[in-house]
Formats: sequence, C-alpha cells, structure tokens
Amino acid sequence: MNTMTLDAAGQAEPVQPKAVEQDTVGTQTKVRETVGKPFCDSAKLRMRNVNVFYGEAQAIHDVSLDIGRNEVVAMIGPSGCGKSTFLRCLNRMNDTIEGCRVEGELSLDDEPIYGAKVDVVPLRARVGMVFQKPNPFPKSIYDNVAYGPKIHGIASRRAELDEIVENSLRRAGLWNEVKDRLDKPGTGLSGGQQQRLCIARAIAVSPEVILMDEPCSALDPIATARIEELIDELRENYTIAIVTHSMQQAARVSQRTAYFHLGHLVEVNDTETVFTNPQHELTEAYITGRFG
Amino acid sequence: MEMHFDQHISRQFNEDLESIKTEMLEMGGMVARQVADAVDALANADSELAEKVLHIEEEIDRREMALDEHATLIIAKRQPAASDLRMVLSVTRIARDLERIGDEASKIAKMAIALTDEGTSPRGYTEIRHIANAVRKMLNDALDAYTRFDVASAMATLAEDEQVDMDYRTAVRELITYMMEDPRSISRVINVLWSLRSLERIGDHAKNICEQVVYLVEGADIRHGHEKNLKNF
Amino acid sequence: MTDLSQTKLTQQQVRERIEQRLASRHRKEKIFRGLGIASIAFGMLAVLVLFTDIISKGSGAFVQSAIELRVHYDEQVLGIDKVDDESLAWANFTGVIREALRERFPEASSRSEKRELYSLVSTGAPFTLRDRLEANPELLGQTETVWLTADDDVDTFVKSLSDSAEGFRGRTSDQKAGWIEQLMASGELKKRFNTTFFTNGDSREPEQAGIRAALMGSLFTLLVTLALSFPIGVAAAIYLEEYAPKNRWTDLIEVNINNLAAVPSIVFGLLGLAIFINFFELPRSAPLVGGLVLTLMTLPTIIISSRAALKAVPPSIREAAMGMGASRMQVVFHHVLPLAMPGMLTGAIIGMAQALGETAPLLMIGMVAFIVDVPGGITDPSTVLPVQIFLWADSPERAFVERTSAAIMVLLSVLILMNASAVLLRKKLERRW
Repeated sequence: MNTMTLDAAGQAEPVQPKAVEQDTVGTQTKVRETVGKPFCDSAKLRMRNVNVFYGEAQAIHDVSLDIGRNEVVAMIGPSGCGKSTFLRCLNRMNDTIEGCRVEGELSLDDEPIYGAKVDVVPLRARVGMVFQKPNPFPKSIYDNVAYGPKIHGIASRRAELDEIVENSLRRAGLWNEVKDRLDKPGTGLSGGQQQRLCIARAIAVSPEVILMDEPCSALDPIATARIEELIDELRENYTIAIVTHSMQQAARVSQRTAYFHLGHLVEVNDTETVFTNPQHELTEAYITGRFG
Repeated sequence: MEMHFDQHISRQFNEDLESIKTEMLEMGGMVARQVADAVDALANADSELAEKVLHIEEEIDRREMALDEHATLIIAKRQPAASDLRMVLSVTRIARDLERIGDEASKIAKMAIALTDEGTSPRGYTEIRHIANAVRKMLNDALDAYTRFDVASAMATLAEDEQVDMDYRTAVRELITYMMEDPRSISRVINVLWSLRSLERIGDHAKNICEQVVYLVEGADIRHGHEKNLKNF
Repeated sequence: MTDLSQTKLTQQQVRERIEQRLASRHRKEKIFRGLGIASIAFGMLAVLVLFTDIISKGSGAFVQSAIELRVHYDEQVLGIDKVDDESLAWANFTGVIREALRERFPEASSRSEKRELYSLVSTGAPFTLRDRLEANPELLGQTETVWLTADDDVDTFVKSLSDSAEGFRGRTSDQKAGWIEQLMASGELKKRFNTTFFTNGDSREPEQAGIRAALMGSLFTLLVTLALSFPIGVAAAIYLEEYAPKNRWTDLIEVNINNLAAVPSIVFGLLGLAIFINFFELPRSAPLVGGLVLTLMTLPTIIISSRAALKAVPPSIREAAMGMGASRMQVVFHHVLPLAMPGMLTGAIIGMAQALGETAPLLMIGMVAFIVDVPGGITDPSTVLPVQIFLWADSPERAFVERTSAAIMVLLSVLILMNASAVLLRKKLERRW
C-alpha cells in the first residue's frame, strides 16, 4: 500500500479546488486538497473557496463543494470541524453571529447567496432549515406550520392556508397523528413528532433546499428511523444537506458524504465509497473510530 | 494507506479484530498442515496419516463456525466501516475458503485410503507431488500475504494459479494416456485424477485468499477477473 | 501526579476515610441549614414587628368618634330664608351646632365652659350640616338627629380609654371628660367607620384629614410613569438585546444603565427640578412632573429586567423563526416578545412598586405641598402617599400618629396588591416551551 498513491482526482472532474497549504493542527497529516468528487454536473448549490472566520479564528478553510439537485449530501466530521458552520453559510444563518465573516463564492442556482444586494428573507424561504433540537414555536400545531406561509404572504385565503398546512403535515408524515389536534400546542408533541413538525414547517414555504443540522441527535432510534425515511422521501422534491454525528445515518440517507476535519473539507465521495473504502486516511481514521 | 487495526479508541474493538484475524490465521495453519499431510498420505500410502487428516476436518468445521459467530458479533456491536468492515468480511470469506480447502484435503485423504487398499505405486504420483508443492506454496504465500497486508505478494501468488491450472491440464492429458495404455489401471488412475482435481481446487481457493488480501488493503474487488478494479497496479 | 499504584488504598481503607469525614460533613450541613432558617426567622420577625406596630397604631384611624346631636335648622340662627348656593355659603351652621350643644348640656354657662363645650365637635362639622341641607332643602326650619364628627382631642381621649381607665387627657379638661363619658354612656358618642379618611384630602385637623388626594396623586403619577417608562424601557431593551452590535459603545451604554440604577433617587429629583420645572416650565407639584422624574428612576430597572427576560427566551426560537425567513422585527414581535412579556411585566410592576414608594425625588419637585383638594388630572397640584406619610409623621397632633400608620397600611396594601398581581400575571402568561 505504501508504494501506491491514490489519485482520486483522476476520476473526478478536472476542476480541482485550490490547494490548502496549511498544517492541520493536532495531526501530522497535511490537508492539501479535497479528494474524491466534490463537484457534480447538476449543482443546485455551488460553493467555491469558502473561508469562514470568527473574528480572528478561521473556522472554514477554502472549501469547495457542489450539492446536486435532488441529492442528499451528508456532512460528517468530529466536533468543531466546521461542518455546522459550513451548513449555516448556505442560508446565511451565520449572519446573526457577531464577528462571523464569510468569504468565497456561494451560489444557489447560479445566483449569489452572499452580497450587498441579496435579501436574506427570500433566500431563507428558498433554503429552509431544520435544527438539532426540535424547536417548534410555542404556538398551536397549525400556527407552527402556517407561520412561514403567513409571513411570506403565500396563502391569500384561509382555505389555501389550510391546504398548505395539511399538505406539509402529510409530507412530513405527521398528518394522521395530529389532524385531530391542530389547535393544540406544538410543544406538547413527542420529540420525534416535534422534529417532523419542524420539517413540516420548513417545507410549508416550498423551499428548494433543506438544511438539516443534526436533526436526529435528540431523538430515539424509532423517531430517528422515521426522520431518515422521511429524508429519503423528501429527496424527490428537494435538495438536502444534512450534518450528522451518526456515521450510520450518513451512510443510510445520503448519496454523497463530505468529511470535514478542522475546517478543511478532506474528502467528498459517493457514500458507498466513503464507508467501504475511503480515499483519505483521515476519513478512514474517523469513520473507523481511530481518532485521538 | 497503512493498515492499523490497533489504533481504535475502543481497546476492545482492537482486541476483537485482532482475535478474529488470529483465529483465521490459526485455522489457515491447520488447513495448510492438513493439505501437506493429505498429500504425504497419498504419496506414501500412509492410511494412518490419512485418517488423521479426516479427523482434523471436524475441528476445522467447528473453527469456521466459531469464526463466523465472532465476526457476526463484531458487526452487530461495532458496525465496522471501511478497513474494519473489509477486515471482518475478508476474514469470514477466507475462513470459508479455508474450510473448502479442508474439504478438498479430506477428499485427497480418502483417495489415499482407497489407493492404499488397492495396492502401491500407481502412476501419476510425480504429477501429484509437483502440483501439490506448487499449491502448498500458494496457500502459504497467500496466508503470509494476508498476515503482512502485502498486496504485491498477493498479486504474485495469484498469478501462480495459472501455472497450476496449466500443470493440472498437462497432468490430466498424461493420465488419460496411461488409462488408454492400460485399461486395468483406470479405476486407480481416476482416484489419482480426483486428487489432482482437489489440488487444483485448493489452488483456486488460495487464489481467492489472495483476492481477499487485495480487497482488505485496497478495497477493490478483483474477483472473477475484475483485476481492472485495482487501479494503478 | 499521584501514582495510584503507590498509594495502594484498599476499598476498605477508602470507606473508612469517607466515614471518618462523614460526621463533620453532616454537622456542617446542619449548621448551614440552621443559619439559613435563622436568617429567615430574623427577617420574618422584623416584618412581624413592623406589621404589628403599624397595625396596632394605625387601626384606630379607621374608626372615628362621632357625636349624635339634635340639630334645629333655625332660619334665624342660620341667617337665611331660602336654600341656594349663595345663602348656603353665608349660613351660620356653627351657630346651629352651638345651639344644639347648649341644649344638650345646659349646665355650661361660663365663657370658658362654653368654649370647652363647642370644641366637642370638629370644626368641620358645619360643613356636614351644609351638605345635608343642600341635599335636602326641605329640612330648613326642621329638626333632625345627625351624627357629627367629634374633635380630634375627643377622639384621642375616647380611643385611649380602651388602653387605660384614665385615658389620655391632653388638652381635655375634667368637665369635658365628664361630658364625653356622659355622651358615651347614653350612646350619643360612638366610634363609627371613618369614611372621611378615604374621601378627604389633607387637612390641618386630623379628624378631617384623608388620604384620597395622596392616593389619587400616586395613581396619576404612576400612570404617567408607566405610560412612559414601560414602552421606552422595553424598546431600549429590545434594541440593546436584539439589534445593537456588541461593541465598545453598547458596552458603555450598558455600564451606564447599570450605574443609573444605583444613582440616589434624590439626584433624579434635582434633575427633574432643573429640567422639567425650571427649563420646560412644567407646573410644580404636578403628577406629570413626578411621573417624568420617576420614569427616569424606574427606566434602568425596567430595561435591566426586560433584557433579562429577553435573554431568557431560548435562542432556538429565534433561530427557528429566522430560519423560516422571518425578518428581525417579525422574530421579535411574533416570537420573542410574547415569550418575554411575563418577565417584562413583572419587572415593570416591580419598578412601579419602587416608584410608588419613592419620596425623595418628589420632595424636590414640590409634591410635598399641603394639598386639600383631590387632584383631577396629571397637571393638578397633588401629593403622593409616601410624601403624605412623611407630612403626617411630622405633624404635632396626636391623632396624626394613627393616621400616619393607617396611611402606611394603605401604601403597604397597594404594594402587596401590585406585587401579587405581578406574580399572578407571571403565572397566567408564562408558557412552557
């Protein structure tokens, strides 16, 4: 093996992200460039040479990645590797964090995500988000789902709104469980139901991309399985980027998996490849539990 | 990429992987011994040795089952990925090949007993010796390559199988002429042919083991003539 | 680094060591608990003493001695022949009362005796008669029995009789005491519920002094304070918490707000005097100015408590709303504010309670004036409850002692009511999330 060098670039697209010339602290390995297939032909989200800073500290180093249409891309990596930070760049949720600066080109359908003229309100309507902890509003189930359509003025009549709410809840697989108690508080549901309510709330504004930040980390295995099943169904209509700590989950739900390490995007590959034969030794070390 | 199975955060996981590998290699050692004994029994018409070979067969079957169970437990408890997953899979696959090799060795031992009963010195022993040596070397090299995660050596050993197959075909042709010359020898020569056939099969299984070495180290499946899956070699 | 293998403690030894320390640990625990109970007991005792003292002193003010007299509305004595506004203003009701008193106690003959006799009833009694006659003009020339408020000396003497058989005489002569006892024996002098205390403004005569003016003054002042400080405080808190960038300027503002909360309240009074009265020439002694000054004083409290309430709203709610594409204002008004409102209201009510009890700054802006008329609006001169208490506590008449305590009781009950409503509001509005 030592005699061989893996040159994954040979089979990926000719375009390669700029080399990262920094030593990664804590390991002897130098992360120079992303190996595998970071790009794809039908990219919904296109990120090039993204750098993110928190004040002086750099959280993301020169990450380039495409997320394809109707594709689920999983982002894995140890805590603090920047995967959540990167995810939150995609709908500019980092804007609210004091001292956070994002550099690089990010585009959604070739329209820039960052820029002085870009309004975040319609952007966030197009790029929905589901968070780690289920966070329904302390309002009724109906109001939770209807909130997005209401503030964006999507539904003009009550009947239309009712329809959107029902459809969203159906697609989130929650309708049958809550149809008789739509006026009850969303916070009274179980953890898994709350998370599906949050997904229903996100899809109620018909986004094109759904970002999920560890959506199952607070849920039990059965609720987790439901969400994973849901993600698979949602893939037909949406592009999904999911950050997860569970490698099995990444393996189950995603088509491609991106491995982040200390702010660098080490490897992006088809999920099967990453979990059977990763090309970078850092990826290998992480997914086989050899860290530390 | 170097193979390290002793650097997991979980020490128990290290030990589990190490122990199935050791179990498999022990099993490999037993099977190699069994093949050698079977060939010796045949060559020396030693029915006692042949009986011993048949006896060991049960032990090998038992070990294969134990190894399978052990591997199942590792998969259930650890959900191994990447090289760990390939390690577990390759160990179980090799164990299966080893068990088959054991079966073939038993067949040879049975032939040895049959030939001993019929009388000594049949024709074709030279060929058997020649092919047996080649096959035993292959088996030892394959296990050795696995121990050292040595892809180059595995590929070299794998290539030897072609020579064995050729030698086997030559030997078969030769034995057919024997039978044509002396029809009375047909039943004995067929026994020899069966033994040769078993040795050739053992060579095939040794080749499978080499393929598993490649799979373990490179993650490339080169079985059934898919050598192109192994890039840059 | 301690090498564990070198210390070689067996489990047995470890257990013994733990047990050795156990007794002293339990003892410390008990001592600490005892200290806690003792401090609470001390606090409760102080409150108890305060309350008993105030209640025992003040409860008397809620009753007032009154004397029953047969009054003849004699046209001649009154000096009028019809009942109208002008004649009522002229009418000599004092004479009517004096006549009634002379009739009741004919034995008083000398000048000094008569003066003694006349001082049985309050100087405010003629007004009672005037009001009656105004309400019932047909009484002119008739005779009726009315209860007239007794003078404060009489009242003090009557009330002190329950403490000792002698009673507190003060200026009361033996003869007068005799008359009082006579009246009491015949049931013509009784302690009745003191409505005057709740309907009148301040007065030099204790028996005519009431807290209504001060209460209304406090109410108007608080209304002004609430109307100004709550919106301003909440707006400031929302800006600082949700919008303002964290930099040196906002840090400076934050430090200053915290400092402001610690500034002595009299300074706010001086500020109010200088700015609102001297510069803007707003009326003196008015609840408007008082409210402005108290707004300055309560703003820091409201801002600080509102910010705490905003901080307590889980960030996940903000993130959820923001992730839906809600604008900053929508996030605040749809989600954050409803959740923070109970906390903000509690803060505001506590700030209001603080403002209600404040005296010093109001002294500076002239709300210490002697106000007889009940104020009708925020620009009328008025005083407030704590200032009224301060004024009465300063008055020499013995009857003001109980009125001071009674006013304190009223103030305390309003405060308790406000704090209780804060707790109730919180309970009612608070939602779990």
